[in-house]
Order: sequence, then C-alpha cells, then structure tokens
Amino acid sequence: MSSEMEPLLLAWSYFRRRKFQLCADLCTQMLEKSPYDQEPDPELPVHQAAWILKARALTEMVYIDEIDVDQEGIAEMMLDENAIAQVPRPGTSLKLPGTNQTGGPSQAVRPITQAGRPITGFLRPSTQSGRPGTMEQAIRTPRTAYTARPITSSSGRFVRLGTASMLTSPDGPFINLSRLNLTKYSQKPKLAKALFEYIFHHENDVKTIHLEDVVLHLGIYPFLLRNKNHIEKNALDLAALSTEHSQYKDWWWKVQIGKCYYRLGMYREAEKQFKSALKQQEMVDTFLYLAKVYVSLDQPVTALNLFKQGLDKFPGEVTLLCGIARIYEEMNNMSSAAEYYKEVLKQDNTHVEAIACIGSNHFYSDQPEIALRFYRRLLQMGIYNGQLFNNLGLCCFYAQQYDMTLTSFERALSLAENEEEAADVWYNLGHVAVGIGDTNLAHQCFRLALVNNNNHAEAYNNLAVLEMRKGHVEQARALLQTASSLAPHMYEPHFNFATISDKIGDLQRSYVAAQKSEAAFPDHVDTQHLIKQLRQHFAML
Amino acid sequence: AAASSSDSDACGAESNEANSKWLDAHYDPMANIHTFSACLALADLHGDGEYKLVVGDLGPGGQQPRLKVLKGPLVMTESPLPALPAAAATFLMEQHEPRTPALALASGPCVYVYKNLRPYFKFSLPQLPPNPLEQDLWNQAKEDRIDPLTLKEMLESIRETAEEPLSIQSLRFLQLELSEMEAFVNQHKSNSIKRQTVITTMTTLKKNLADEDAVSCLVLGTENKELLVLDPEAFTILAKMSLPSVPVFLEVSGQFDVEFRLAAACRNGNIYILRRDSKHPKYCIELSAQPVGLIRVHKVLVVGSTQDSLHGFTHKGKKLWTVQMPAAILTMNLLEQHSRGLQAVMAGLANGEVRIYRDKALLNVIHTPDAVTSLCFGRYGREDNTLIMTTRGGGLIIKILKRTAVFVEGGSEVGPPPAQAMKLNVPRKTRLYVDQTLREREAGTAMHRAFQTDLYLLRLRAARAYLQALESSLSPLSTTAREPLKLHAVVQGLGPTFKLTLHLQNTSTTRPVLGLLVCFLYNEALYSLPRAFFKVPLLVPGLNYPLETFVESLSNKGISDIIKVLVLREGQSAPLLSAHVNMPGSEGLAAA
Repeated sequence: MSSEMEPLLLAWSYFRRRKFQLCADLCTQMLEKSPYDQEPDPELPVHQAAWILKARALTEMVYIDEIDVDQEGIAEMMLDENAIAQVPRPGTSLKLPGTNQTGGPSQAVRPITQAGRPITGFLRPSTQSGRPGTMEQAIRTPRTAYTARPITSSSGRFVRLGTASMLTSPDGPFINLSRLNLTKYSQKPKLAKALFEYIFHHENDVKTIHLEDVVLHLGIYPFLLRNKNHIEKNALDLAALSTEHSQYKDWWWKVQIGKCYYRLGMYREAEKQFKSALKQQEMVDTFLYLAKVYVSLDQPVTALNLFKQGLDKFPGEVTLLCGIARIYEEMNNMSSAAEYYKEVLKQDNTHVEAIACIGSNHFYSDQPEIALRFYRRLLQMGIYNGQLFNNLGLCCFYAQQYDMTLTSFERALSLAENEEEAADVWYNLGHVAVGIGDTNLAHQCFRLALVNNNNHAEAYNNLAVLEMRKGHVEQARALLQTASSLAPHMYEPHFNFATISDKIGDLQRSYVAAQKSEAAFPDHVDTQHLIKQLRQHFAML
Repeated sequence: AAASSSDSDACGAESNEANSKWLDAHYDPMANIHTFSACLALADLHGDGEYKLVVGDLGPGGQQPRLKVLKGPLVMTESPLPALPAAAATFLMEQHEPRTPALALASGPCVYVYKNLRPYFKFSLPQLPPNPLEQDLWNQAKEDRIDPLTLKEMLESIRETAEEPLSIQSLRFLQLELSEMEAFVNQHKSNSIKRQTVITTMTTLKKNLADEDAVSCLVLGTENKELLVLDPEAFTILAKMSLPSVPVFLEVSGQFDVEFRLAAACRNGNIYILRRDSKHPKYCIELSAQPVGLIRVHKVLVVGSTQDSLHGFTHKGKKLWTVQMPAAILTMNLLEQHSRGLQAVMAGLANGEVRIYRDKALLNVIHTPDAVTSLCFGRYGREDNTLIMTTRGGGLIIKILKRTAVFVEGGSEVGPPPAQAMKLNVPRKTRLYVDQTLREREAGTAMHRAFQTDLYLLRLRAARAYLQALESSLSPLSTTAREPLKLHAVVQGLGPTFKLTLHLQNTSTTRPVLGLLVCFLYNEALYSLPRAFFKVPLLVPGLNYPLETFVESLSNKGISDIIKVLVLREGQSAPLLSAHVNMPGSEGLAAA
C-alpha cells in the first residue's frame, strides 16, 4: 500500500504524526531524484514542497520553546553590561531577592538557594542558578551544579536544552548557509519562513561543532561570541530582508528579528522590535518574549506591568499568569506568587508547575496535609517520578500519615534516575530517622546521601551534628567546614561551626563563623545571641 | 467665665507633670471643708449655665455642720445646718421652665429642699409610735413622781430590753451628767416624746423619663431599715420597702413608673437588690467585709470593701472580678466623661492616691498631698470634666481633665502581660487535618504496624546499601580508626581545560597520616590528566590540604563524564576513599 502512496503525502503524514526522522528521510529521497541543488527548483512545486517539509521536520526535531528555556551563560551573568543601577531599590530588582520578605516563611523553615531565594516548587532553568556574586562562584557552582539543592522539592525537571542535533546529520548539512542567496529567498515569503526557522533552531547548534578547535579561556570569549554572531547574522539578515520585502508590515518577521537580537544579547534592540510587533498584532507569544527581555534587563516591575497589560487583552491566559507568578516568586513575594498560581489553576487545573509550586508553598507554611493533596493530584495526573514520591513521602511524614511515608520513599529510591536524586531521598530518609530517634539509621542514611552525591552540603551538615552529639569534635568540625565551603549560602553549617568552636573554647573561630552565619541569615536569633555572648567575652578580656 | 479664667491662672502655677492628663486648677489646703462623697453635688442652681458645687460640710470635728455653695474656688453662700448632713443631691422637681434643679440635703430626720438657694420645703420622716413604757415614765416625770436617777435607771433597762429604740429625748438624757439631769428634765418634761428615725443615705431616681433632665424622685434610706421613695412635687411617700439591715449606700437605675433596680449596701455587709414590684430584696450579695462604697458602672456594680479591694458584680449578684488596692479605700465615686462615653470608678485611697479603674483595668493614678475623703467628677463652672476632691485635713483640690486626654488601659500591674496578647502565626487547622487525625484515631494500630514493617525493611535496605558503599569505598568519608579522612573535590574552569582541586583532610585528633596515594580513573578518550597517580604528603591533623591538578577535555561533542578520585594506602589494593567528580561540559562548545 505504502509503496503506491504518493511520497509527499506520506512524508506529510509522517510529519503530522511527529515522526520527523522518517519524514526527513523520505524528503531526502525525493530531493535526491532531482539533481542535488541548494535551492528548490521554482518550476517543480513538488520539490519545493519536499524541501520545505524537510526543513520543517529537521527544525521540529530540535525545536525548543524559546520562551521557557533560557539558561544564562557565565558571560551573560558576569559580563552583564545592561545593569542599570548597582544598588537597586528594594522590590525593583531580581538581583536582590532577600530584600522583600513579604509574609513568607523564614529562612529557618524554608531553605534557600545560592542566590538567596526560597527554593521553588518547580525546577526551571533560571530558578537554579541565580546570579553569583563572585567570579569564583560563577565558575564553580552552577556547572558542577548540585550544590544548591533544588531537587528535593521539585517535581519535574524540565530542562530540555537544545543539544539534540549534535550527531544528526552524518552526510553534511542539509543547507549550506554560506552559499545561500538570502535576498532571493526573502522574495518568497513562504519559503523564507521555513528557512528562517531552520537556520534559527537547527543550524544554531550544528554550527557550534565547527568551533571544535578553539582553545577557550575567558579572555577570548568575545571571539567566540563573534563566531556565534556570524550564525545569528544569517538568520537576522534573512529576517531583515524579509521584513523589508513585506514593507515592515509583517509582525511575524519583527518577532523573529527580536528573537535574533535577544540571542545576540542586544536587549534594547529586541525590545524595540517586539514593541513594534505588538503594535501591529497583539500575540501572547510576543508579550512573553518582551517580558523575557525585561527580565534579562532586570526590570521585573516592567515585566509584571507588561504581563498585566497582556492579561487585559487575553484575559485568563495561562502562560501570562504563570509568568507573573514566576516573577513574584523570584522576587521572594511568595504570597502574591501563590495567588497567581491559584489563578493559573482556575484556568487550567492540570498545570503541573502551579500545582507543584502551591504544594511546596503549603508544605513550607506548615500545612503538609494540603501539600499532600496537591502532590497526590500530580500523581493522579500521571506524573510518576522519584521527586514526586520523595515529596509525597515527606508530606506524609510531616502530616503524620506514617504508613505511607516509607513506602513513598522506597518508590522514590527505585525511581531515582540519577545519583543526585537518590542522594536526596537518602537525605530525607535520614530526616525521618532523626525524627524517630534512630541515630544509627540516620547516620547511615546521611552517609549514603554523601556516597550518592559527594557535594551534598546539607548531608555534611547533618552528619556533623550527629558526630557532634557523639563527641567527635574534630570530625564534626571537618564536616562542617566542608559543608560551609560547598554551600556558603546556608547559615546552618556556619552556625553549627560557631557553636562547636565556642564549646571547645576556640572563640576567635567561633566569632568568625558566627559572623558568616549572620551574613547568610541576618534574623537568626541564636546567632545574634552567640555573637553578643562572644562580644562580652572579648570585652571581658 | 470668671471661674474658668481663675482656674487657668491657678493651673499654671501648680502644674508639675507635663504628661499628666490633668490640669491642676486649684489647691487650697486650708479650705476647711470636711465631707464625704455623698455630700457633694454639682448643679446649675441658678439656671445660668454656671455649675456650682454644693457641699454638705460636717465642719471641723463634726461640730458645725454647714451647707456651703462654691463657685469656682470661692465659697458663694454658707448657711448653718441643724444636724450633720447625710447626703446631698440635686434633682428636677417639675417640668416647668426654667428648669433649675432643686437641691436636697438630708440631715437628721429631715430633707431640706432648696430652690434658687432659698429654703423651699422641709420634709420630715413620719413619726414612729413611741414605746409605751417610755411614754409612761416621762408622764411620771412630768408629774414629778419620779426622780431623775430612777428615770435614768428605768430608761436604761428599757433600752436594753425593748426591741424599739428610745426616743432622741431619752437618749440625750441618758448621756447627761448627774448635775445636768435635773435641769434637762425640768426643761423637757412638758414635751411629749417623739420617736423619729434618721436618714442614712439618699439618691435620686428618674420618675418616668430616662432623659438627662427628667423629673426625679428622691430615694431615702433610713436608720430603721427602710427605703422610701418620695414624690418630687408633693413630697409624699410613693413607695416604702424594707430591708434586713440599715442601708448605707444606694445605687438606682431605671425609672420609678416603669421599672427600676435598687441596690443597697447595708451595714451587715450585704448588698440587697430590689426591683419595682418587690417589697423585699430580690437578690442578696454577701460580702466578706464591710462595704465602703457602691458605684454602678453600666450594668456592673462596683463595691469597695474594707479588705482594700474592689469587686465587680452583675445586677443579679454574680461576682465578676476583684482588684486589690495598695491601701485602704476611703471613698469612691463615678467618673463619667460624656464626650468619650467613658464610665469609670474613682477610688480615693488612704495612701494619698486616687485610682481610676474601668472594670479591672487601671486607667490613671492621681497623687494627692493628703488622703482624699470625697470625690466628685462632672461639670463645674463652665468646664465639662472637672474633678473635685476634698482631703482629710479639710483641703480642696480641683483638677480639670485635659480635653486631649484619652484614658487608655496602661496594663502596668493588672491584667495579663502584653506578650500574652501577641498573636502567633499558627496556621489554621484545616478540615483535611481533622480528617487525617480521625483516620489516625481509627486506624492507629494498622498504621503503626505498617510503619514498623516498613522501618525494618528500610533498615535492611540502608544497611545493605551502606555495606556495599563501604566495601567499594564509595564514601568520601573514611571512618576507620587508623585513617579518619575526608575528601571533597571541586572543579573550576570553563573548559576545555579545567582545574580539579581535591581537598583532603585528616580528621583525627592527634595522629598524622603518612603514605597515601591519589589515583584518578577516567575515560581516556574524553579527558587527559598530566598525572593520574601521585603521592600525598604527610597529613597533619585538622588541616585542609588542597591538591590541584589540571584536566583537559578532549571531546568536541560537548559530552561530559565522571572522573573517579581514589585515595589509596600504600600496599593495599582497596581504596580508602573515593569521590565521583561530575565534570561539566566544556563551555566552549555550549556557549557557541
């Protein structure tokens, strides 16, 4: 049957069924019949169609949603030239998240990430990293990762970075960009759009392979950027030519130009393009892109206003609501974030991110039974992974549903995809063991957490506390030092170190550690007491 | 206007506390006014808007009772009284304009009523039937059949045996010296003996309207354990009620024609509560000590007792609260601030304090130079909130409440500490939580069993995993007694060249560690290290040894791998420690 089927129709069918590889192969066969040519023959519309289809299939294979995925590179973080004010007013910047604690649980209850934000209920690319303060932190932490521990409370890991197409085209690229006559393509709007998406999504990654021999240090990073620019330029040139062709009336092209500018880090230009596109045609996507630009420019308030403006045009739009909630969450305004997540759930009651965030919010505000409901809802929706069971187990334990606790952790352990997840489960099991007073089991669990993840700072800290209770002061101190060097943003290791040093009479070290603890968590009463006590000691001498 | 200006003159001289709620308007320690709260009244006696103070003055030592009317700090009129005053009250007698209030002063068996400060009416209590035996004796004396000494003996025996008390004439006779008796008998023997009781307390009760300026009846308490209600115009007795004891303080609420409630504190230490239709007490509050004052604040009866305490009671006699005073209570009165709707109790104490309470909360304390024996608060002159106090030594203190003053409950020594009222951020108990506790209660045993089973399984699983980790030395911590070591690794750099730093620490207390080796295990297709195996120097306890090495990434595909770091002991094949280093992808590829 299939042999008699019209190949183009078959390819189209493959494409519709999202069997992109098959579709692309079929299109390649069809194109091979005609003499290999860069550009489709204008007289042969079938070839033209096959060419577009192949381009689209290849694009779809590596397509990533530009709106959601955005991981800042080190260069963007450290060489940020868009910063406007070094010391922004509280509540106007994403860089100083600790400034506006509006009613959320304190740091002592809800752990924070390295950037000083309470950990979120849902892991997004940008929630993890934050902006490091020093170059050393920048180089070390976000990449060897696993120091900030977001995994325990996250339920889904949606990191889908565009790394798919590394090895996909064995016989050379489909389209050789350098030989492309962009002006000619820009005359044909339908072809141009497919070609643009291909260049933007597909070629972006393929081209990186050609940079293999570049010896890279931080000093020559601008050089690298230039190479990258080169690729983007192709897309940009095409987009610019096409806009010109459509007499600046096609909003789609403007959005694409904006996207190119955004990738090139030219945020102000991107903003102009998006705004102009919005004037022509209001689209949800455009709002989201523009908000993303503002977030990159560290103007969360403007982004919020934009989202709200968008909500006026598209009332109840889930992505806009979700965007608002995310920004509030990043600004540490948990109550507003929870409100908007609830709005999201009103519109779309299967929104994983909203459910997970509200759930973790309830968990950390001492209502584990409600959090349990939310996580159960996720389970009913078919999300079946280690993180979710981990959270369920914790909620069950704190809501006193003991019969479900250990079974959930057991599931989480067997579902754990990697060692880090297993480490987190062991860590939580250690907490359960501490809760039932079995220090031996707790010790084993924390050790196992460390076996699975050598950089688990919390486990180091808790293990140190257990050692301290056994009277092994030297070991406890060594563990605490490790914990504080792994996670300088946590106040617990510093404070524990200060206490133990104080006990054995090493007042100087105790004072230094206590001050670090105070820097990490200024409102911690016990630290303040300790510092006061130490000051009195010093004054007495 | 004259009064207020003189008030303000005086206040400038005497005010000492800037933050006090009171202006010191007048203080005259030599005013020579000796009285109690019951004998003080404030009224607009002339209908000119200028309120005067009426004082039933007992005189120094209770010798020269006088009626004094004060305007501002000065005595306006003064007239002698035939007997000691028991109470003073002002009330409206009739509806006619101008509605100037009449002044009633209870003294001995009579109530003297003044209008416009002129004597208007004298009401005397009805006479009581005299004791026939006594009557007979005096009749004999009249006919000179009995000598004064026998008369005295006979009268004394009557006084001791008879239920009814003697007449005043007989009582006076009994007090006399032997030499005076003859003259007294000669002087009084022709008079027929009368027996009259005396008034102990007086108050006013609205006749039929609850308005501020409605016609009021006088309510009298008498020595013969009765309460009388007088008609305001005709001064006839409208109602008569009897009590088990002699009333000393009266508090009335309601209207005579409609419904009223009468509380009478009596000498036997009980408070009796009567209502309109009851001739006898309806409720009785038995105090543990003698009452020294009775004030009604809204619906609460506040009683001061000789046990230095204030008690609050409902109108049905239920005790609400008790407040202990630092000293004995001398007098009490009501503080009513109409502009703020405040009603409070003032109590003058023996230690020279005047305390103001709203229920059990202390609002204000005024320190006076002498113990205060009478208190009165109200409009005086043209000033609305004036406090008039007289002291034990006969002094007069007038204070004006500042118009900006607001009484707030200081809570200095009474009531719970302020921390107790602070609201903690405790999350609400959700319905879910209640459901779950129900489930726990119902299936507690099953849950516990399930948990214990799981716990055993978990212990087994943890022990297995732990053993496996120990056997393969996966742990970054070594716990053996000989080599307590700790290892952690940090990777720095963007790639393709990375710096790998191993932090090795000897965690034993005293023993240094010698003869350790470090070995790296890695995929040689992906990474290259200059030295994959090297010796570790001597490790001094407690110090952190950073060991650095460079790693070069060889892959151009952006693939990253794990590098295993093993710490070995010379001559042993099993590693002591191991660390897994997750190498980052080479940024050179990811960024481009």
